[in-house]
Amino acid sequence: MNAPMSSAAIRDGHETNVMRRRSPTGLRGRITLAVMASTLLISVIMALVTLTVGRKTLLDSREASLIRQATSNAATFGGSLKSSPSGTETSDQPNETSGGQAAVIQSILDSLPVSGWASAIIPPTSSTGTAGQTGGAGQTTATTDLTTVSINPKYGTDILPKDLVSDVVENRQNRVMRFSAKGEPLIAAGIAVPDSKASYFQIVSLTDIDDALSKMRTGFFLMTVLATVLAAGLGYWSSGYSLRPLRRISDAAKEVAIGQMDTRINFADYANDAELAPLVTNFNDMLSALQDRIDRDARFASDVSHELRSPLTTLNASVEVLQNAKDALPERSQTALELLSSDMRRFTQLVEDLLEISRFDAGAVRLDLDTVALVPTLEKVVKVASSRAIPVIAEPEVTDLVISCDKRRLVRVVTNFIDNAAKYADGATSITVGVGAEPDPETGAVGTIEIGVEDEGPGVPPEQRGKIFDRFNRGDQGGSRGIDMGVGLGLALAAEHARLQGGNVWVEDRHDGGHGSRFVLELPAIEAMEPEELEALSATPGLDMTQITGQVPVVRQAESPGGQR
Amino acid sequence: MKTRILYVEDDERIRSSVKLALEDEGWEVAEAETGEDAIASFRQGPSDVVLIDIMLPGIDGFEVCRSIRRDSDVPIIMVTARADTHDVVAGLEAGADDYMTKPLQPKELSARIRALMRRARPSQPGNPTLRFGDLEIIPQEGVVKRGGIQLHLTKTEFKLLVELADNPGKVFSREDLLEKVWGQDEFGDGRLVDVHVRRLRTKVEADPANPRHVLTVRGLGYRLQA
Repeated sequence: MNAPMSSAAIRDGHETNVMRRRSPTGLRGRITLAVMASTLLISVIMALVTLTVGRKTLLDSREASLIRQATSNAATFGGSLKSSPSGTETSDQPNETSGGQAAVIQSILDSLPVSGWASAIIPPTSSTGTAGQTGGAGQTTATTDLTTVSINPKYGTDILPKDLVSDVVENRQNRVMRFSAKGEPLIAAGIAVPDSKASYFQIVSLTDIDDALSKMRTGFFLMTVLATVLAAGLGYWSSGYSLRPLRRISDAAKEVAIGQMDTRINFADYANDAELAPLVTNFNDMLSALQDRIDRDARFASDVSHELRSPLTTLNASVEVLQNAKDALPERSQTALELLSSDMRRFTQLVEDLLEISRFDAGAVRLDLDTVALVPTLEKVVKVASSRAIPVIAEPEVTDLVISCDKRRLVRVVTNFIDNAAKYADGATSITVGVGAEPDPETGAVGTIEIGVEDEGPGVPPEQRGKIFDRFNRGDQGGSRGIDMGVGLGLALAAEHARLQGGNVWVEDRHDGGHGSRFVLELPAIEAMEPEELEALSATPGLDMTQITGQVPVVRQAESPGGQR
Repeated sequence: MKTRILYVEDDERIRSSVKLALEDEGWEVAEAETGEDAIASFRQGPSDVVLIDIMLPGIDGFEVCRSIRRDSDVPIIMVTARADTHDVVAGLEAGADDYMTKPLQPKELSARIRALMRRARPSQPGNPTLRFGDLEIIPQEGVVKRGGIQLHLTKTEFKLLVELADNPGKVFSREDLLEKVWGQDEFGDGRLVDVHVRRLRTKVEADPANPRHVLTVRGLGYRLQA
C-alpha cells in the first residue's frame, strides 16, 4: 500500500531512493574500466615494440648472415672460376662455347654452400659474344654479351631489382637489397666477385620471418585480449577489495541513519593505511561529536521533564486538595480552579510526552514484548479511552490473531488516535483491523497488520498529512487552540512507538470514501512468542524489532494520499 | 480506626501536598523525611501501608523496603521516577507490592492503596482449607503451610496464591491477575505479576527453579496445580 506518512518517513524514503539511484558505472566500475584500459594500452605498446624490434633483429641477422655467406661464396666462386679448365676469364680457348661455360658455372654454383638461391652474371670473355643458351638444370641466359647462370630459374637474376644488378655488374659495388617478387618477400646480396668481372648474387626468402612475425602478432593479439580480460577481473576484484572500507563506512552511516548512534568503525583495522586512517578517524570523531550532541540535547529534554516531575507532583496534589474543597470556594475561585486543574492535566501530559520522546531521542527506549490478542485488546482500549462505544471491525483472518508486540505502546498509539479524533473530529467512528502487507517468503519480510481509527471529521488536507506527525505540529486546526486541545507531541510519539516496533503510522482518506480521516497504525504480524522468549528478548539492551523480525523497519515512501486500494 | 500510611519522601513540598490530598481521601498519613526516619518510625508504631520514594538521601528506598519487609508483610508502594527503568523491577524484587510513577495522582494512589488493603476473599466459604499436594491454604486465616510448616507470605503474595487456588488448573492471564489482585485494568504492568509469581515460588515451592505448584503456561499465563 502506498500511504502518506510523517515527513520524517518521507525524508527517510527519499534518502533510500537517492541511495538506490546509482550511476551505471560506479566507482568500482570506473576503476575496473581504468585498469582494463591501461592494461590494454600497455599490452598493445609492448606488443608493437616487441614486434618491431623482433622484426628488425630477425631481418638484420638474416641480412648479416646472407652478406657473410654471399661474400665467402663469391670468393670461392671467383677462385673456382679461375682454376676451372674452362675458366671464363683466364681461358684462352676460343672454342669454348658459352653453353659449356654456363655448365661449368652451373656446377660451381651448385657446389657452393648456399642457403637460398645463387646466381652469377659473367661478362663475355675476349671478343666472343654469343647469344645465351639454355642447358643443364640451370638456365643460362646470355643477354647481348652477358652470361647469366642461376641454380634455380625461379629465383634467377631476372627478379632482382635493376638497381642492384646494375650497381654490382657495372659499378662493381657490393649491395644488399630487400624486395619482393611475385608477392614473396626476398632479400638479395650482390657481390662483385673479386679479381674478376663476374658478379655473384644470392637470394634468400624472408617468408619464414614474415610467418614467424605474423604468428607472433596473433600471439600478441591473443595475449592482449587475455591480459585485458584478466585485468578487468583483477580490477573488479581489487577495487572491490580496496573499496571495502568505503562500503564499511557506508554501512556504518546507514546504521547511524536508523539510529544506532554507537556505530563506530574499528580504527585498528585501518591504522596502517595512510589514506584510510584519517578518514576512519574523522568519521568516528564526527559520529562521537554527533552522538555527544544528540545525547546532550536528549539529556537536556529528559532532565528538564524529569525536574518538572517533582513540582508537578506537588501541583497535582495541591490542585486535588483544592478540588476536594471546591464547594467552599467563591464562584470566581472555582472557575479559576477549573482552569488551573484542566491545564494541570495538560501540563502533566506534556511533561509525560516530553519525557517519553526524550527517551526515544536518547535511545533509552526498550521494547517490552507481550503476547497480545489483538481484537480483545483494542476493544478494551476503546472502553478505557473513549466515553462512547466505538465498534472494532476486524477482517476474518485477524479476528483471533495473537501477536507479539509491545502492548503498552500499541495501547498508547491507538489511544492517541482515539483522543485525537475526539479533539479534532468529534470522535472516532470505527476501528478497523485488517491485513496490511502479506509476508514475503523471498525477502523474509513478515506480514503486517493495519489498525485504522476512522472519524467523520473535517479530514486532514493532503499537504498536512506528513507534517502532523512532526513534533508540536497540530495541522491547521492546531493553529487555533480551542478548549482542551492536546499538545502537539501525541502523534510524533505515536510515530516513534510504531517505528520502535518495526511498524508505521500515517493518515489517509477513509476507504469507504466518506469524509473524515483514517489514522493507521501498521505493525509487523509477529507470531506470539513464549513468555520466556519474550522475557529474554525484552531483557536485551537496545532491543529493536530488527532482532526479532531480522529486518530493518521498513519505511515506505509516501505517495498519493489515500493509498492505492 | 483510620488506615495509617507511612509516607517516606525527602522533598518537603511534595510530602506536604500529597499528605493533604491523601488525608482528603480519608487516610491517616505519617511522614518520614529519610529512610532512617522511616524505619525507626515503622518500628515505633507499625503502619498499614508504606509509601516509599526511591530517591532518598542516605539509605535509599530499596533498602528501606527490604528492611521493612524483613519484619512485616505490610503492603508497600514504591514511588519511582520512571516506569521503564529497572527501578521498577528492583523495587518489586526488594519486596514492594506495587509501584507508582511521579507525578503522583493522589486519587490513583488511593485506589491502589485500597486495592492492596483489600483482603483475599475466599470464594468457597464452605471449604476453609485448600490443599495442593504438600501445600495447605486457609484463606480465612490468611495462612499457608507447606508440609505443615507455616509460610510467611505478604498480603499480595497471599492474594495471588488464593486467586490461583480459587480455580485450580485454570490458566490466569497476567491481565486477569492484575485485575483480581491489584485492582488494575488490563493495561497495568505485567511485571507486577511476573515478579510476584517469582517471589511466591521462592516461598511455596520446594525447588523454585523447577516449580511444581505455580506453573507458567506458555503464552497464556499462570496456573496452580496440586
